[in-house]
Amino acid sequence: MSPRVLVVDDDSNNLMLEHDLLERAGFEVLEAGNATDAIAIARREKPDVIVMDVRLPDMRGSEAAKILREDKETRDIPIVFVTASVMPGGREELRGIPNTGFIGKPIDTRSFAEQIRRFCARDGQSMEPSHDK
Amino acid sequence: MFWKGTARTARRSLEYAESVINTVREPLIVLDQDLRVVTVSRSFYEFFKVKPEETVGKLIYDLGNKQWDIPRLRELLETILPQKTTFDGYEVEHDFATIGRRTMLLNARQIQRVLGKERVILLAIEDITERKEIEAGLEKTRKELEVIKRAADETSEYAESVINTVREPLISLDQDLRVVTASRSFYEFFKVKPEETVGKLIYDLGNKQWDIPKLRELLETILPQKTTFDGYEVEHDFATIGRRTMLLNARQIQRVLGKERIILLAIEDITERKEIEAGLEKTRKELEVIKRAADETSEYAESVINTVREPLITLDQDLRVVTASRSFYEFFKVRPEETVGELIYDLGNKQWNIPKLRELLETILPQKTTFDGYEVEHQFATIGRRTMLLNARQIQRVLGKERIILLAIEDITERKETEAGLEKAHQELKELAGELERVARVKSEFLANMSHELRTPLNSINGFSEVLYDETFGPLNAKQKTYVNNVLTSGKHLLLLINQILDMAKVEAGKMTLLLSSVPMKSLAYEISQLLADMVSKKKLHVTLDIDEGLPSIEADELKIREVLYNLLSNAVKFTPEGGEIGMRVKRAGSEIETVIWDTGIGIAPENMDKLFEGFFRVDTPYSRLTEGTGLGLPLSKKLVELHGGSLSVESKGLGKGTSVRVALPIVPRGRK
Repeated sequence: MSPRVLVVDDDSNNLMLEHDLLERAGFEVLEAGNATDAIAIARREKPDVIVMDVRLPDMRGSEAAKILREDKETRDIPIVFVTASVMPGGREELRGIPNTGFIGKPIDTRSFAEQIRRFCARDGQSMEPSHDK
Repeated sequence: MFWKGTARTARRSLEYAESVINTVREPLIVLDQDLRVVTVSRSFYEFFKVKPEETVGKLIYDLGNKQWDIPRLRELLETILPQKTTFDGYEVEHDFATIGRRTMLLNARQIQRVLGKERVILLAIEDITERKEIEAGLEKTRKELEVIKRAADETSEYAESVINTVREPLISLDQDLRVVTASRSFYEFFKVKPEETVGKLIYDLGNKQWDIPKLRELLETILPQKTTFDGYEVEHDFATIGRRTMLLNARQIQRVLGKERIILLAIEDITERKEIEAGLEKTRKELEVIKRAADETSEYAESVINTVREPLITLDQDLRVVTASRSFYEFFKVRPEETVGELIYDLGNKQWNIPKLRELLETILPQKTTFDGYEVEHQFATIGRRTMLLNARQIQRVLGKERIILLAIEDITERKETEAGLEKAHQELKELAGELERVARVKSEFLANMSHELRTPLNSINGFSEVLYDETFGPLNAKQKTYVNNVLTSGKHLLLLINQILDMAKVEAGKMTLLLSSVPMKSLAYEISQLLADMVSKKKLHVTLDIDEGLPSIEADELKIREVLYNLLSNAVKFTPEGGEIGMRVKRAGSEIETVIWDTGIGIAPENMDKLFEGFFRVDTPYSRLTEGTGLGLPLSKKLVELHGGSLSVESKGLGKGTSVRVALPIVPRGRK
């Protein structure tokens, strides 16, 4: 059975890129363009992993993650943040949210799906952030 | 016969002795050599409440239920008596079972029995318990008496201390004119000691220096008639203190207890006072002379006034000008004839009628004779708006009662302006610094935002072109593949530029932090040279590596050192034409690791040397266009090295003559040794 991933990004190009890469790698991909939709879909569909941008139009990715963590239906779904905020201050707000990972933009298309898959298989542990240099 | 008679005599003696024993009031006991009781007086039985049948023949210590087994008694009987036949006044305090705690006085005699060789011990026991108590009471009374006596002594001492406290020499004499006591000031004043004074005839004191006819007259003739005598003047040549005039006050006092009278003599040295009185007349005469000199002094003072640079003016009590310095006339553009004798406020068409000056002259000066640094700002008719600093002195004229006021006027207008300008400049500078700080913060925020905004589209550009290039979703023709590779290469270059700009901003904002670890320099140097192998072989460059064996590890941020060395080596590769030479030399130099990366490339023109590190938006050098560098690599590398406490310098002999970059990194970062 193929793993299901929810990809959340307000930039339609990025959404398409991540969607295509993950689908190509065998994921069943769900999409959301904002945090509110993402939370609703996550509750309904209970994906195996959520790939989420940090800067979303309706709220910060970190806030959305906290809401997901408070709901017992979505509490245990791993979240990988994909963000262009690579300054130290950008990562600070993500610290302390359990079962999350971090990938900086731009993504490495050759390893992206593999990184998500690996994270999907883990549970309860934080992932090493990848370097994009 | 003789023997019989003697025996009878002896028996009679014994009976007599026994009757004596029974008659004496004191308990008496006779012991044999073994300390057993031979006989005991009646008073003994009565006193110790024992009966004869439980006493005679018993060991003394066993008597009355062993109450006599007293260590001190054993000592007397067993240790002292064998050596001495007589022992008196041996005191024993003991808790007796029958009669309670008593103190006994024991007197012992060892007697050779008249008939026979054995010896008996006669022990008289006196109960001195009550006597001891009386004695103790007596002792207490004696102590109380002592306290009373001490109180009396203290009273006497108090009187003496009063005598010693008064400044005037004081001496008390008895009826025979002998010294009873003298005050400390007396000893000090006449330089004599108590032992050569007390008890002596006054006339004999201090080598007879007090044998003064006038004193004899006072003590022997006057005092017997009058009990009090004041203001008796005696002038005398004293051996110790020279010629002095003394004023004597005498009192004759009846001692409270006892009939003798004592004479109290107060001696006041009025020598100086006499001299002062004499001097007064002389001074009056000298004053005459001084008065004459004063006029000359006045002239001198005026010449001083005229010499000082500062305008100076003297006023009388009515605030009329007495005199003004030449500089005053010059400064205020007034003439003497319109100044001297005028009220200060009226000077120069009333231009001095200033409220603050009135306040100084009429309110402050009457209370304080000196006033400095009084600032007055005023619009003067002749010289315009000025700020004046006034210093005032009120002086009592040497002769005469009037006072004059000396007023020094300093024009501090320019100084104030300078100060105000300085304050303004300082304020502006502070504002500028604040503005700069704000700009720096805005710049930093702007860069962070820009970095984010640029990364988002770059994610698409690089991502999609990478996927296309990889032909993930289907093959491309050769041209398409080249084009999409160009898009990808440019996108990656843009990303590098963004990253370096961001790093520069972080360093400049002081927000770049180092992640220190132990970095093995030798393997790092080889590793990085390896990374460039492709580029090097493509350009057919000759590479010389000179890396010392046994290089120590350094404490540094490995990623950043890696970035620096990569930047410098890739620069060397980029700026060296095909077939040229590049090299890296790494060695230890004291407490640092020195890395030199050199090339035989295009070099740097001397005039561009300074611009190398300006970086940021100054990437537009003639060479950056030739190559694919960002132009930020060198300035960023320098900043990163400096952040480690190291240094980076560039040398070039000029255009076309190659470049060498020297990086020195401390083995242990500075401040962490």
